[in-house]
Parts: sequence; structure tokens; C-alpha cells
Amino acid sequence: MSKHNVSRRQFLNYTLTGVGGFMAAGMLMPMVRFAIDPVLSADKGGDYIATKQKVSELTTEPTRVDFSFKQVDGWYESEETNTAWVYKMEDGNIVALSPICKHLGCTVAWNTDKSNPNQFFCPCHYGRYTKDGVNVKGTPPVSPLDVYDTKEKDGILYLGQLKPHGGA
Amino acid sequence: MKWTAKDLDMYIQSKEYVDTVLIPLIPITFGSQIKQTGSMNEFLTILSSEIEKQMKGRILLMPTFHYLSDEEDKIDLLKRWTNKVKENNFKHIFFLTSDIEWKKEERELEHNLVWIPAIPLETLENNQAREMINQQVLQILDIFTYNWKNEKK
Repeated sequence: MSKHNVSRRQFLNYTLTGVGGFMAAGMLMPMVRFAIDPVLSADKGGDYIATKQKVSELTTEPTRVDFSFKQVDGWYESEETNTAWVYKMEDGNIVALSPICKHLGCTVAWNTDKSNPNQFFCPCHYGRYTKDGVNVKGTPPVSPLDVYDTKEKDGILYLGQLKPHGGA
Repeated sequence: MKWTAKDLDMYIQSKEYVDTVLIPLIPITFGSQIKQTGSMNEFLTILSSEIEKQMKGRILLMPTFHYLSDEEDKIDLLKRWTNKVKENNFKHIFFLTSDIEWKKEERELEHNLVWIPAIPLETLENNQAREMINQQVLQILDIFTYNWKNEKK
């Protein structure tokens, strides 16, 4: 039994397993990559979109912030402009509310109803929401306004995905 | 709501909330006026869809009423449209047009005619055009809210 005695049979076994292993790996890796692809791409969902709004200029009074992004709508790609109502809370946190009324999808505005100041008001069916986006009981909407994820980068406000109220 | 299957589903479910119809009136001509009608078409299509976006829950945007500008009986045809709309329990009917011809017939139409000169959007930068349309939309929305408020009393 000398130290390095590899028989012909053993040598062939080693090389075959080695080469076979590489081949199997070469076949399996793309398949595995395909299989887990949805998991990987879900992570980067929630792209943030830059607005023109400086965070330092935000106050406790909701301001209208427009931002645009490319949207593929059926057949053609268009530049879609969306709006958010943005304000700072007392503790400095930023709140960005979607202006889409939860009733039938009209656009709500801040403080436009004279008899109910400091609320979001929907001109279509007189739905109202308090400043934090919660629907006022007795008006048509049945749920609070959706909330955007927000992020600050280089002093500029970025808006992310739209989430139901409370889930943000 | 737009005149699409998806939006009309929404309309069917919440009919009692949708009491307003918006009909864009757009002329078709050939010859020397052809480019102007093109401008009108472009402008009114964008404007009406922006209005619809803002007031989705209460306004049903009808397909555009197209007509040949030298057509004599376009008023009668439009009246047939509005009669049909009224039969279906809409309280407010608005027309949106850039064609001055309708302004002359306003009295006969018996409904709110919003006449607004077409902006030649092709001469503007994208951002400027957007800004101008937004301004126009805000002003037209006032007409709607005013009408709705007065009806309530």
C-alpha cells in the first residue's frame, strides 16, 4: 500500500464524477435561477420616484406635490402625472396621502369646503377626510385615504408605493 | 368614468352617484380648416380625459360627438343624444367644445355648454402644455361644482 496509488478504475471514477458534476451544475443553475426569480424581483418592487418637492420646505399644512412617471397603459406608454398631499407631522415625520377618494375615485383637495375647514374634501359627493386621511363618519367614503411610502434623499422627497392606510 | 367596459361596470354598480354626463363636441372638416379641427381634437381629448380623472366618481365621459362642420342637422342629432341621456336619469349634461358654431346655438341646447378656445398644444413644450391643461381643468371643475351645489338647494 504505497501512499499515492490511484488505480485506473479510481482515476476514471473521479474524473467522471467531476465532469458529470460540472455538467449537472451547468444545467441546474439556470433552472434554479428561473425558479427563484420571482422572489428576487419582488425585493426591488417599490421603486421610489423623485418629486420636485424639497423636504425642508414642507410644513404641517398639506401641500400638493405632483410627480410623474412612465406608465404602460394597454397599448402605449405614456407619462402619467400623479399627485399626493404631503405634510409634516409634529414629530417631523412626513405623511403623503393619495388624493384618490376611496368612494368612487374622484380627486380630493385640502381645505376647499368652507363649512368644514382643515379637512380633505371630495367635491363629487361631499366626502370628507380628517388631516390624517381618515374618512369622516356620515360621508360617503367607507375607508381612509391610501398612503405613499416616503423617503428623503439629498433633501428631495421621494414617493414610493401606495399602501392602505395604517399599513404603511 | 370613461366609456370603457371596466368603468361602466363601476357605473352600473353605483348609478345613484353618477348624475352628470360630459360630451365633447368635435367637428370634422377637410380643406383649409383641417388643421384647426385637428388641434381641437387633440386639445379636447386631453382636456376631457383630465376632467374625467379629477371627477371620476360623478361624471360619465361619453364617447365624443363627432360631426361634419357643414352638417345642418347636427343639433337635432345632439338633441337625440341628450334625450337618451336624460331618459337614463342623468341630471346634468355638459358639452365641451372649441367650435364657435355651438356658441351661437347655445340657447337651443338647453344644457351647459362649455366653450373653450383650443390651445395649439403642438407648439408648446410638454411641461407647459401640461401646466396649461391643468389650469383649464381647475377652472372647468368650478363650473361643475357650482352646478352641483345649486342643484342641492
